[in-house]
Parts: sequence; C-alpha cells; structure tokens
Amino acid sequence: MNTREYIESGILEAYLLGSLTKEETRQVEADVAMYPELKEEMKAIENAMQLFTTSLAKELPAGLDNKIWAALQFASPNAGDGHTAPKVIPFTPEYRKPARWQLAAIWIGLVGSLLLNAFLFKQGQNTKSDREELSAKVFMLEHEQKDLAYLLSEYQKNKTMMTDTSMQTIVMHTVQPGHPMAATVYWSKNNGVAYVSVDGLPAAPKGMQYQLWVMQDGKPVDMGVISNDMPSTPAMQKVIKSVTTGQAFAISLEKEGGSPSPTMANIYVMGKA
Amino acid sequence: MSNTTIIYNEEELVLLLKQQSREAFNYLYRQYGPVLFGVVNKVVYDEQTAQDVLQDVFVKIWNNIEQYDANKGRLYTWMINIARNSSIDKLRSKGEIMKGKIRTGDDIVNNVEQGMKTEQATDTIGLKKMVAGLKPEYETIISLAYFKGYTLDEISKTLEIPLGTVKTRMRSAIKQLREIFNN
Repeated sequence: MNTREYIESGILEAYLLGSLTKEETRQVEADVAMYPELKEEMKAIENAMQLFTTSLAKELPAGLDNKIWAALQFASPNAGDGHTAPKVIPFTPEYRKPARWQLAAIWIGLVGSLLLNAFLFKQGQNTKSDREELSAKVFMLEHEQKDLAYLLSEYQKNKTMMTDTSMQTIVMHTVQPGHPMAATVYWSKNNGVAYVSVDGLPAAPKGMQYQLWVMQDGKPVDMGVISNDMPSTPAMQKVIKSVTTGQAFAISLEKEGGSPSPTMANIYVMGKA
Repeated sequence: MSNTTIIYNEEELVLLLKQQSREAFNYLYRQYGPVLFGVVNKVVYDEQTAQDVLQDVFVKIWNNIEQYDANKGRLYTWMINIARNSSIDKLRSKGEIMKGKIRTGDDIVNNVEQGMKTEQATDTIGLKKMVAGLKPEYETIISLAYFKGYTLDEISKTLEIPLGTVKTRMRSAIKQLREIFNN
C-alpha cells in the first residue's frame, strides 16, 4: 500500500470526524492496525482534534454536578448480574422404557418447572429493582426531612426572639444607592444579647466576608464577622460579643476574617437603634 | 486556593471510573465536564437541552466504562464521541435536521456559522480565538461532519463538491488546526 497517498486522501481525518460508513470505519481500523505510519499520522490528527475540542470547553452551570450524580445513582446498570438459565438435571434413562404417560408427565413437569422458574426469576428481578428504587426514595426523603427540620428550628428561633418583649428589632437599610439590600439585628440591650440575620444581603464574594459593627458615640466597634453561609438564608447568627450600648448597627464587606475598622466605601447597610 | 488537584492519566482514570465512587465522578466532572459540555453545546444550541444531554452523556460513560477498549483508541476520544453521538441523536429526534434541508447548503452553512458566533460570546480561553482563525470553508466542513453527523455523501451533496474533495478538504482543515496548535 502507498501509505503516503492513503494519508493524503484525507480518509483518516474523515474517520476521526466520524463521517465514514460502518464498513469504511472497519477498513480504516484494520489498515491503521497494520501500518505504523498510519498509526503515527492518526495520533497527530487525534492530538489536533483533542486540542480543538478542548478549545470548546464551556463553564458548567452551578449545581449540575449534584443533579447528574443523583441521576447516576438511579441509572446504575442492572444488566448482567448473574442471570443464568434455569438448569435442567439430565435425565438418565432407566433400564425399562418408560410408558407413554410417564413421558408425558415428565414433559409436563419439565415445561411447568421452566415456566415457573422464568416467572420466579422475573419476579425476583422486579422486587430487586423496586427495593432499590424505594431505598433511594427513602434516602431522599430523609434528606428533605433533615433540611425541613433545620429550617423549622431556624424559624422557631426567630419566633422566640420576636415574642421576647425586651428584644428590639433594628432593620438596617442599604446605604449603597441602587442596591436594595437589608439586614436585621435583634438586640436585647438589658442582657447584651444580639442576633443578626442577613437574608437580604447577596452572597459575599470569594475571599470576602461581612462584618457587623455597632456605633458607640460615633465610633464603629467590631461585633465580629458573619458566617458566609448566612447571606440569603433566613438563618440567624448569635453575635458573640456582648453589646450593651450603641446608637446604630452597620454591616460592611471586609476581607475574610474581618478588619479592625470598617472600610467606609464597603458599608452596605445601616440602621439606628 | 487549594488547587492541588491530582491529575490521572487515562489508564488510571479508567480504573478510577470502574470504582464508581463519588470521587471518581467529581474528578470526571471537573476534568472533562466543561469539554463535554462544550461539544454538546456545539450540536444543540438550547442550553436546557444541552444540560439534559450532558446528563445522558455522563450516564453512558458511567455505565459503559467496562466496554471501553483502550486498544481501540483514547478514552478522551471515546468520551467525546459519546457526547457527539448523544447530541446528534437528540438533534435528530427533535427533527432539527430536516432531510429537505440537505439540499439547501446555504442554510446549513449559515446556521453553522451562526452557531460559531454565539459560541464565541462565552469564550474564555485563548485557544478558541486561535480556532476562530480557521478558514470558513474548513470550519463548515468540520461542523457538518463532527457536529451535525453528516456522512461524506451528505456533505458532498450539501456543499455540491465531489466526494474526494470532501476528504481532502477535511485533511486541509485538520492540517490548519495542527499548524494553529503547533505555534
């Protein structure tokens, strides 16, 4: 074979681009297996194709990985799990030729048993897949239930605080024009306890964190950073530091871990006590 | 920050996938997901459909990894082909490739070029810019074959060029890709 001509014809490219018929594909595979020059060329083409497809890479939408993983759990292959045809024990002929009715009875018995085997096998398969489906469902329900229980406990906490008469609610409004944001501080001045909820703030960017401040006589005092799990959830975070005086609360966006004093341009919300 | 990801070679990856663990999936998803998604998106333009197809692709890779034969080619190519075939099947089942259209080559060429353009909006990698330098007739032939699943015969009829020319043009197209990537 003139491999040079073969290569120049472009058939290897056509093969890798997937536009050959089944027969042609098989032929190319055989040729490539036989001639090292073709194999070499094929590799070079494959490299170019690989770089080409790599250049198409597209960012995956958030959360799709979990969705696909869940799908994989449901779609696990059940095929080929030890399915063997029912075994028939060989019939050893007796010395005396069996009577016609005996043969008939044996046949009826055999066929019946085969049918029964097939039926039982099918049923076993069904039960198995039913069970798998059920256990997956139970698993999902347990998860949902945990999520709900958590949500409920958060709402209950909210409710207890709302009904506490000594608890003052301070709504902090946006100080960034054009960006509607809000957060809330629940403050019991007498015992210095405060909670903060930031469900009206966007998620903090990577490497950044929200920090709570209380204004005491015009000076911002650090009240600690707010966990990055908090924004956009109804959850509340207890303020670690005790606070007994103050005229206003504010939240600013700071680098992760917080700052000793607030970055003025990054104050997002503020509210008077 | 903690970008110290382990990179497996293809042989190791096959073994990893056979474990069917979450780690195996995470690795596959992270390393190959964007490319597979990119390929699917080249074929089906609709974002939601593309996501559904991508899910199919992962299911197929996951469930058929035992059938992958390293002697027949790279794992990478195998996975890309699953992505291509699933997307093309989807496209056909949606009736987006109409038999009648095969005769009006211009339409398809335009569609293909439009597809290329919307694609570029989401481009972040410099590679893509280089590929954009591909001659339009090369781009068209790669798209028809690779992303629309046309046979040589169909391409020949669509573009009204002889069969032999289709193949040599494919060769020239890949040659230009090779030059682009070698620089």
